[in-house]
Amino acid sequence: MVLVVLRRIGLFAATVVVASIVTFLMLSILPGNAARIALGVQATEADVAAQTKAMGLDRPAVVRYLDWFGHVLVGDFGTSTVSRRAIGPEITDALGITVILVLTSVVLALLFAVPFGILSAVRQRKPDGAILSGISQIGVAVPGFLAGMLLVTVFAVTLRWLPAGGWVDPGDDLGGFLQHLILPAIALGSVQGAVLSRYVRSSVLEVTREDFIRTARAKGLGVGRALFRHGLRNAAVPVMTVLGLQIASLLVGAVVIERVFSLPGLGSLLLDKVALRDLPAVQGIVLVLVVFVLLLNFLVDLAFTVIDPRLRSAS
Amino acid sequence: MTPPTLSVRDLRVGSPFAELLHGISFDVAAGERVGLIGESGSGKSLTATSVMGLLPETLTATGTVRLNGVDANLLTAPERSLNQLRGNTLAMVFQEPMTALNPLMRVGAQVAEIMTVHHTEPGRRQAWERAVTLLAQVKLSNPRAAAQAFPHQLSGGQRQRVMLAMAMANNPQLLLCDEPTTALDVTVQAEVLKLLANLVADRSTALLLITHDIAVVAEVCQRVLVMYQGNIVEDGPVARVLTAPQHAHTQKLIAASDLSAVDARGRLHTRSRPVIVTPITPAVDSAQRTIEADATAAPILPHRAAHQHLERGGPPVIFNAVAGAPAIRVRALSRQYRRRGGGGLFAPAPVVHGLRDVSFDVAEGQRLGIVGESGSGKSTLMRILCALDRPSSGTVDVLGQPIGTASERQLRDFRSQVQIVFQDPMGSLDPRMKVRDIVAEPLHNVNRAEVRARVEAQLSAVGLDADVMGRHPHQFSGGQRQRISIARALISRPRILVADEAVSALDVSVRAQVLNLLADLVDEYQLTLVFVSHDLGVIRHLCDTVAVISDGRIVEGGPTADVLDHPLHPYTRQLVGAMPSMHQLARRVSN
Repeated sequence: MVLVVLRRIGLFAATVVVASIVTFLMLSILPGNAARIALGVQATEADVAAQTKAMGLDRPAVVRYLDWFGHVLVGDFGTSTVSRRAIGPEITDALGITVILVLTSVVLALLFAVPFGILSAVRQRKPDGAILSGISQIGVAVPGFLAGMLLVTVFAVTLRWLPAGGWVDPGDDLGGFLQHLILPAIALGSVQGAVLSRYVRSSVLEVTREDFIRTARAKGLGVGRALFRHGLRNAAVPVMTVLGLQIASLLVGAVVIERVFSLPGLGSLLLDKVALRDLPAVQGIVLVLVVFVLLLNFLVDLAFTVIDPRLRSAS
Repeated sequence: MTPPTLSVRDLRVGSPFAELLHGISFDVAAGERVGLIGESGSGKSLTATSVMGLLPETLTATGTVRLNGVDANLLTAPERSLNQLRGNTLAMVFQEPMTALNPLMRVGAQVAEIMTVHHTEPGRRQAWERAVTLLAQVKLSNPRAAAQAFPHQLSGGQRQRVMLAMAMANNPQLLLCDEPTTALDVTVQAEVLKLLANLVADRSTALLLITHDIAVVAEVCQRVLVMYQGNIVEDGPVARVLTAPQHAHTQKLIAASDLSAVDARGRLHTRSRPVIVTPITPAVDSAQRTIEADATAAPILPHRAAHQHLERGGPPVIFNAVAGAPAIRVRALSRQYRRRGGGGLFAPAPVVHGLRDVSFDVAEGQRLGIVGESGSGKSTLMRILCALDRPSSGTVDVLGQPIGTASERQLRDFRSQVQIVFQDPMGSLDPRMKVRDIVAEPLHNVNRAEVRARVEAQLSAVGLDADVMGRHPHQFSGGQRQRISIARALISRPRILVADEAVSALDVSVRAQVLNLLADLVDEYQLTLVFVSHDLGVIRHLCDTVAVISDGRIVEGGPTADVLDHPLHPYTRQLVGAMPSMHQLARRVSN
């Protein structure tokens, strides 16, 4: 067990290193000179040469990479070529917002998907099961940004119950924080929840056909008890797989939703920096996003090991 | 007179489209052991699931099912009262020990659960302790460790013991077993059946044992019910039914099960024929034969010589060595695997030996049977012979060509010379291809008209009409699909045919037909046959030579009759002992 966890940690670290190399390479093979971009169109050749030297761009790629990644490891993402300020704190602030948004929407998605999926599986042959199944089908078809705009129109513009956008720090005002969080989290979580509920449904249906559920029934457990005691944990395994795969698309969704609700998260920051052509900042943000996805996947993998004893013995 | 433990009257089970059970009636007396036999689709499992009240939602049952001491008709009783009976008064063991246990729950907890559900033990701790005791009673060595284990850490036989422990936990009045040993190796099967018989006898539990295997019934039961197309066609004491079956279907079933009875051409009986006569003479006869054989045969038989070499730890033995150019020549063949992710973080993965130092020949036209249990290495050997896997060391020459190191291009001709029939007639045919295309696939550089003619000829050679060509595999029964597989294997006119458990998934009557077909075709095309099987009866019938594999080694080999009648290696003895012939069965049950 410990060995398996250690191996997973090792694998995670290795993936992070590879991801950092890919991120670095992708941004350094972009056409255009970072120094010229930083100075703008009116810069002279001499200025560009001086800037190139100042940014250390005249050094070999390997040295530049090691320099950059070495600093990133201690939390130093370099300085912005636009604002001339350290990028690190900016990223940390924005990351906090995105993490809160993504995790809240995952929790909301699960809170919706698990009971909804189980119910529509159990009531499969009944009319209400078909209706439930239809609702989730609609949910799958609605894109997150549309859900967001609909929510804003109904709850912010028409009913005026909740703010249409913006962000309040939980330390400043917890009530305001929750008010600002709820709509974007629902918008982001609803699509994921709908998709996930389809998988919960099919996974539960699959499990109810398993031999060991029949065994449980033969032991004298009722349908519900057999499903609850033996089925759900088994059904959780494929659902977790899907959840792991969804995390990347959740972050993409977060980039859009942050725009819709004008939240100063990592997605908004990334779009701003791209528009400003602030390459060191873009590089840092992309790496943070990638590591975030990897980290969540790593946690999902660990959860697998906890749920399924077959994965604990290393074979 | 005490009322029967189980009484079934006019049980009918139907789907919205058809009736599947046509009003069957039978009783099982207290402590009686009753077998329920029949081929797949005859309604055996439906009968048991109806009694348990676990029919799929789409099926409905009518009639009456009564248990002694329970007022209600189980078919109409409310779910709540059925839950109180299931696992308590009546219990069930299923066929697949691999999937019947929850993979995420410790075995001990699963056994203990049946006691906590019915409150037959006061608390969790006591239930767990009882579970450990029960696991000891089903002869699991180290029951405490077994209770802590997860199902994947146990073998198939061990899991079926766990299922038995679970079923017997609350001392049920009636135990239903649905093919409890079909998925197990023969030697394991024998042990589990013995255990089952002892458990029900100790507790005087009534037993309804479903199986397709007459030998299993003869081993355990006193009375047998024979099912055919949703009806019970025969009901009587095992000895009588086995030796003097009344119904034509029972006669056919028994005739087809008897792999030692052949007609003048050496083919199995696939139709009903005069009942097997209770052999009184063979009892004396076989004893005599043994004595004669021991007196005369000792050093002459080749397999004895080979075995003696092996025992003395002498040089590696070449089994069935053939002078000149054999069809298959295998020398010092070994195959190791690295278990994936098996080692430590940095330690190399442990090596698993699939085959160790195997050497044998197969002469042109010979029929070699390879026998062994699951995990013995017989499938690895088959895969290497077909160049689907490569040896780790050693040489394999097939039809004079070394295939261990050959490239895929060099193997092109080899592939048309050596063809395979696989075990699973459901999984080994592409469900989206038509029969015509499946059978024609091995043909290359042949024009359309000739392909059609050859496919037609080949299908008729395996006993299928030409009009099946446009159909898809799911429209055929298991036996028909195996015929299609055989047609596909033979269309390229191979010289060697390799069959991997080719009849294991078939019902006995179909098995007899397919075995006859194979025997005919092997004669007609003068094939060299390598037949891999766990079933000694099938090997004895079809093969002239046999190699017994255990733990990656050939432990014994030689002429089939010689090896099976006078096994030398303890493992072969164990195998032979676990597989009684029909005559032995008839003799045993009539005593």
